[in-house]
Amino acid sequence: MGLRVGLPDHRTRSRADGGWSPGAAARAAGAEAGERAPDQAILAAAVAFARALRELGLAVSVDSELVFFSALAELDVRKQADVYWAAHAAFVHTPDERAVFDTVFERFWAGQPMTLPQRGAEHGESDARMGGAQHGGEALPQFQHEGKAASAVDGDKQRATRDIPSAEGEQGASNQQRGVLAAWSARETVSDRQRLEYNHDELAALRKLAEDIKRAAPVRRSRRCRPARGGHRLDVRRTLRDSMTTDGEAFRLSYTAQAPRPRRLLFLCDVSGSMERYSRVLLASLKAAVGAARRAEAFVFATRLTRVTRSLDGHDLERALEQARATVPDWSGGTRIGGALADFNRTYGRRGFARGAIVLVVSDGWDRGDPELLAGEVRRLQLQARRLVWLNPRPMGLDQQPLAIGMRAAMPFVDDFVPGHDPRAVAGLAQLIGDLGGQRPQRRPVRA
Amino acid sequence: MPGFDSIEQLRDAFTAQRYLMDEGLATVVFLAQRLRKPLLVEGEPGVGKTELAKALAAASGAPLIRLQCYEGIDVHHALYDWDYPRQLLQLRAGGSAPLYSEEFLVRRPLLEALAQPGSVLLIDELDRADDEFEAFLLEFLSDFQVTIPEVGVICAEEPPAVVITSNRTRDLHEALKRRCLYHWIDHPDLRREVAIARARLPGVSERLAEQVCAFVQDLRWLDLYRSPGVGETLDWVEAFHTLGRDEIDAATADRTLGTLLKERDDLERIRGKGLEALVERAEERAAELPQDGASSGAA
Repeated sequence: MGLRVGLPDHRTRSRADGGWSPGAAARAAGAEAGERAPDQAILAAAVAFARALRELGLAVSVDSELVFFSALAELDVRKQADVYWAAHAAFVHTPDERAVFDTVFERFWAGQPMTLPQRGAEHGESDARMGGAQHGGEALPQFQHEGKAASAVDGDKQRATRDIPSAEGEQGASNQQRGVLAAWSARETVSDRQRLEYNHDELAALRKLAEDIKRAAPVRRSRRCRPARGGHRLDVRRTLRDSMTTDGEAFRLSYTAQAPRPRRLLFLCDVSGSMERYSRVLLASLKAAVGAARRAEAFVFATRLTRVTRSLDGHDLERALEQARATVPDWSGGTRIGGALADFNRTYGRRGFARGAIVLVVSDGWDRGDPELLAGEVRRLQLQARRLVWLNPRPMGLDQQPLAIGMRAAMPFVDDFVPGHDPRAVAGLAQLIGDLGGQRPQRRPVRA
Repeated sequence: MPGFDSIEQLRDAFTAQRYLMDEGLATVVFLAQRLRKPLLVEGEPGVGKTELAKALAAASGAPLIRLQCYEGIDVHHALYDWDYPRQLLQLRAGGSAPLYSEEFLVRRPLLEALAQPGSVLLIDELDRADDEFEAFLLEFLSDFQVTIPEVGVICAEEPPAVVITSNRTRDLHEALKRRCLYHWIDHPDLRREVAIARARLPGVSERLAEQVCAFVQDLRWLDLYRSPGVGETLDWVEAFHTLGRDEIDAATADRTLGTLLKERDDLERIRGKGLEALVERAEERAAELPQDGASSGAA
């Protein structure tokens, strides 16, 4: 077993120069360095490394640090690849974290101060851009970062300053923006970022909504069984065990039933320009839903998809909302529903996020993208979902407008279409979810 | 389980089992074994997560114990159960042996792994189990001991090497990840995939293996719904081989494409793109490869 170390006092090393270069120190230490326990200098650098990762939002626990230290004792610390993979195994917990990790590791190995690299990829929430070529079909929007390079090693509370990738026009987007078209163009438009403010009444309404959703959320029968008096499945194990006390005579039969579990609620919400007046409340409703149903997932999209479930998770309502909004680069931008749904289907859908879920799409269906693409993606989503519900804030009939091409394309694959649903009437959402129930809708086989 | 002294030795042992790993995976497996930590591997379907555990067992000559997870799996499926029918018989026969003793204990995979020193325990597709089971697993993974109320604490003489796989259908709990070493297995690069195909399917021609792998590598760059994994590559190579082909051609590729792609949309898309062009490109790329198919290129 490797060494069991407490955290060394990293303050003994000067951190001003960024500390130690593993390569140089190992060379200086000579050949026996590989067999001995890593010395103080190495440990100090390792601690600084872990801190830098933590500052950048990786969930680096003390446990992980200890794992890394003991791993160093097992390896040749002069070999970059060995150290890299040891650190990788200890600190990285999802593939989304690899980009940040790589950057910090490079600096760590080179002995540079581990300053904050450009952010963007590590959110993990919006990893449609991750995974390289797998998702890189259409023109991926370029990122610009307004984040200032700040020293992560100094341990300031840098985490609070989330830098928001400011949206930039997509390459080759030569759309003329005229009149109403501007509201739903395929371009991302930069909107002025006002703070999302909620008054007391709204916050109270949201808390109530969370309670209501908790009550209304449809359930499904899980495969996990629970003892139940009225159950229909004989619990042989329990019956036999009980009969031990009566000399092996089974006087009472025990039954089990499948325990109910909340069905997953999956929200896909349009926060593009044409939905602007609903977006603020919509996000808040998502927060309430995520807080209420243990298995709810929330995504928002304008020109691309962002997962906001994790940013919304938290007790402080207002902070969570602000934080979630900050992760959405294309807030009030253009609309590409088809592209966003394609993103979803490819990344999360394949991982089973929509399987058996009640999927609620909130959008006005004003789409600039290819209607065929949209239809195909909605169909794909419907095949996975238990029920696909489309909430449209525009009243009935308006979906026949020429602008709502997207809506018309999606219609054949929507199980429930709810027009005129105003997201601002917050209480309506729970009612709606309750009314929908978890029943499987009648569908006719789709011939494509 | 005989340990591995160095990463190179471990890699050679795996290669002997026809499991070709890159440097990163080798390092992590080595560390998992040295630090006695469970190894959590994730990756696209078909990159060889389950195979890793099998190869580890074979390479170290240890028994492989597999626990397949599913929703609703509980202690009685995973850890232990009592043999109630036998207990009843014993009771009726008036035997004097205590009913709740090791004699009537049915060992499920986790307990079996504790009982067999130096075994390899594969906990497959943990993301399919529910949160409750994951929570139960925490204790097992950190201490390698379990408490059976009627018997007492059972701990392992020598803890098993644990490999956990997940397909990320849901996020595993942070607490569980913390107890594990993590590794994400990528699709292999062209040279290694060729090496894998050659190692797994010794009968096929080198040319065919190279061309098929080049073709599949190209497909992975396309934006498909379901990218083919290594397993499917091997199937496709075998399909060509079974049909008596020594190299790929568009007609056979068209007929056997279902071996590789399992989504209708993907099939249509690839066919629409023109198989001839793709096949041609694969042939070119395969021709560029150095004629030393056995080398396993490091990532």
